[in-house]
Amino acid sequence: MTRLGLRARVTAAFAVGASLLAASMALFSYDLTRRSLLDERERAAVRVAYFDAAVVRTGLDTDAPDVVEVLRSLDTGSIRRPLLHFNGRWYGRSADIGASSIPGELQQLVRSGEAGVQRVRLDGQPTLLVGVPLSATTSYYELTSLREVEQTFQVMALTLTAVGIMVAGAGAALGWYATRHSLRPLTAVADVAERIAAGDFTTRLDPATDPDLNRLSTSFNHMVDQLVRRIERDRRFAADVSHELRSPLQTLAAAADVLTRRRGHHDERTATAAGLVADEVARFQRLVDDLMQLARTERPAQRESVDVAALAGEACRNRCLPEDLVSIPPGTPSRWLVDRRRVAQILLNLLDNAVRYGGGPVAVHLRVRDGTGVIEVDDEGPGVPAQDREIIFDRFVRGRAAHARADTNGTGLGLALVAQHAAAHGGRASVTDRPRGGARFRVELPGSLP
Amino acid sequence: MTAVLVIEDDDRIRLALLLALEEEGYTAYGAATAEEGLRRQRENRADNVLVDLMLPGLDGFECIRQMRRDDDVPIVVVSARDDTHDIVAALEAGADDYLVKPVAIKELSARLRALRRRGRTLVAPVPAQVFGDLEISPDAGEVRRAGQRVAVTRTEFRLLCELAEHAGRVLSRQQLLQRVWGYDTGDERLVDVHVGRLRQKIEADPANPRHLVTLRGLGYKLQR
Repeated sequence: MTRLGLRARVTAAFAVGASLLAASMALFSYDLTRRSLLDERERAAVRVAYFDAAVVRTGLDTDAPDVVEVLRSLDTGSIRRPLLHFNGRWYGRSADIGASSIPGELQQLVRSGEAGVQRVRLDGQPTLLVGVPLSATTSYYELTSLREVEQTFQVMALTLTAVGIMVAGAGAALGWYATRHSLRPLTAVADVAERIAAGDFTTRLDPATDPDLNRLSTSFNHMVDQLVRRIERDRRFAADVSHELRSPLQTLAAAADVLTRRRGHHDERTATAAGLVADEVARFQRLVDDLMQLARTERPAQRESVDVAALAGEACRNRCLPEDLVSIPPGTPSRWLVDRRRVAQILLNLLDNAVRYGGGPVAVHLRVRDGTGVIEVDDEGPGVPAQDREIIFDRFVRGRAAHARADTNGTGLGLALVAQHAAAHGGRASVTDRPRGGARFRVELPGSLP
Repeated sequence: MTAVLVIEDDDRIRLALLLALEEEGYTAYGAATAEEGLRRQRENRADNVLVDLMLPGLDGFECIRQMRRDDDVPIVVVSARDDTHDIVAALEAGADDYLVKPVAIKELSARLRALRRRGRTLVAPVPAQVFGDLEISPDAGEVRRAGQRVAVTRTEFRLLCELAEHAGRVLSRQQLLQRVWGYDTGDERLVDVHVGRLRQKIEADPANPRHLVTLRGLGYKLQR
C-alpha cells in the first residue's frame, strides 16, 4: 500500500477529529432530547390513561354495563387505543388488539393491583402501554402510539448526521487550508530542487522571514552551494585531465601517423608494433574526445531549429552508410528544436554502436509524438539482454558481444554520451527488442516541437 | 610545394607535427615563440600557419592579430583549449579555423587544403557583383567599398563570394561551413565570427548591417 502524503494525512486527521467531535456531540444531544421527549410523552400518556380509566370505571359502575359502548365513549383520537380486561374477557375497539398485545408481566403487575407502564413494539409500531387496575377482575389498558415521536427522532438523527458530516468536511477543509500554508515552504523547496535537478544551478531558496523556516532555507541553500561546487570541481577535474592528456596525445598522433606512413620501410615486427601504436593512439584520442564531451554534457542543451532528417542523412554519409536508412513518416516535421551538436553525436554514436555490436544499422526512424522527437536506430544483431538494458548506458560498459569478439575499438562512453545528451534535452535513452529481431535504441527528446 | 609554419612552444609536439606534415608532402618549419614565428613569416612567407594559443611571451591571440595586419595567409589554431571564450577570441583575432588537440594529421591536412582553395569552387568566370556601394570581383579577388579596396582574408573573401553567388537567398551556417571550410558538420561559431569580422570591413554600420544580414534561426543573406 502506498503511504498517504503528509498533507492528506493531516487533512484526514482533521476530518476524523472533527467528525468524532461532531458525532459525540450529536449522540449526546440526541440521547438527551430523546430521553426527555419520551419521559414527557410517557407522563402525558399516563395522565390521560388515568383519566380514561376513571371514565371507564364510572361507566362500568352499573348493573349491566355495556362495555363496548363505554369504551366507544372515550375520546381517544387515533393514537390511543383502549383495551379492557373485564371479568376474564378482553374488550377493545378493534379486533387486532387483545390479550396478546399486553406482555404477561404487565398483566400480572396490573392484576396485582398496581399500575404499570411499558414501552413495546407492536406490529412494528413503537407503542406505550399503560395499565391501570380498576378492580380485582378489571384492568384498563391504554396503547399509545409513539410513531410521531419516533419520526421526530428520525428527523433529528438525520439532521444531526448531516451536521456531523458537514462538520467533518469543514474539518478536512480547514486541515487542507492549514497544511497548504504550513507546507508552503516545502513546496518552495520542491520547486527549487526541481529546477536545480533540471540543471539551473543558480536557483536558491529565498531566505525565509519566519525564524522557524530560516534554518531550512539556509541549510538547503548551503547544501546546493556545496553540491554545485562539487559538480564544478568534478567537471573541471575531468576537463583538466583531458586537457593535460591532449598535448602529449598530439605528439603521439603525429608521430604515429609518420610511423603508419612509413610502414613499408620497416621490417615486419617493427611494422606490427607501429600499427599497434597507431591503433591505440587513435583509440586513446577517441577516449579523450568522449571524456571531454562527457565533461561538457552537464551544460544545458542549446536548442535551435535543426533539420534532423538532414542531420541523420549526414551522419549516415559520415559513417559510409546508405542515407536511405533514414525514414520519417510523411507529414512529420523534420525541423526540431534541439541542440545540433548533441543530436549529431547521438546519431553518430548510435550508428557506431550498431556497427560495432549489432552487425550494422538497418533503419533510422525519426518520429514525433506529442512534441517529443523520437530517434530510433535498429540493428539485426543479437539484441541486448533484459538485465543489461539499464547498465548499457553507464560509462565504460560494453556489450557482451564486445568481449566475445574482442572488439576494442569502442571507448565504452558512446552510449553514456547518448544518454547524457538525451538527458540534457530532458529526455531519455532506452533500448528494446526490434520487432523482427535485433536491438532498437530509442532516444526521446521532449520539447522538439514548439 | 606548400609551406607550413608551425608556431608551437612544446618541442616534442612541434617536432612530431613537422615530421608528420613533411610526410604528408608539405614543406614544414617551426617556431617556438610568437616573435620567432612572426619574424619567419615576414622573411619567408608560408602558405599556411598553425598556431598554438599558449605561448611564452606574446600569446597566440596577439601573434594572430599581428600577423593579420599585413598577411592574409590562412591561420589555423591548434590548441588544447576548447572553451567557447578561447575559440571566439582566436577567431576574432583573425584565425581562419580552430582545431582542438589532438588533431589527426589527415584531418589537419584536409583543413589546410580547404583553406588554401581560392575561388576554385567557381568554375566559370564570374562578373563583378555590386551590392550598393559594395563591389565584389571574384576573378580579381577584390572587394571594394565606395571605390576603396577592402583588405579581406582569403577565407573572408570566399565566404563573401559564396553569399554573393546566392545573392538574395539565405544560406544556413551549415551550408556555409560546407562550402567555405569543407566541413560536413562543424562548429557554427566559425561562421558567426567570420561574418562579424566581414561586417566590420564591408558595412558602414556593422551593428546594423545593410548588406550582410542575419536571418534568425536560418542563416545569412547578402542583399543589395
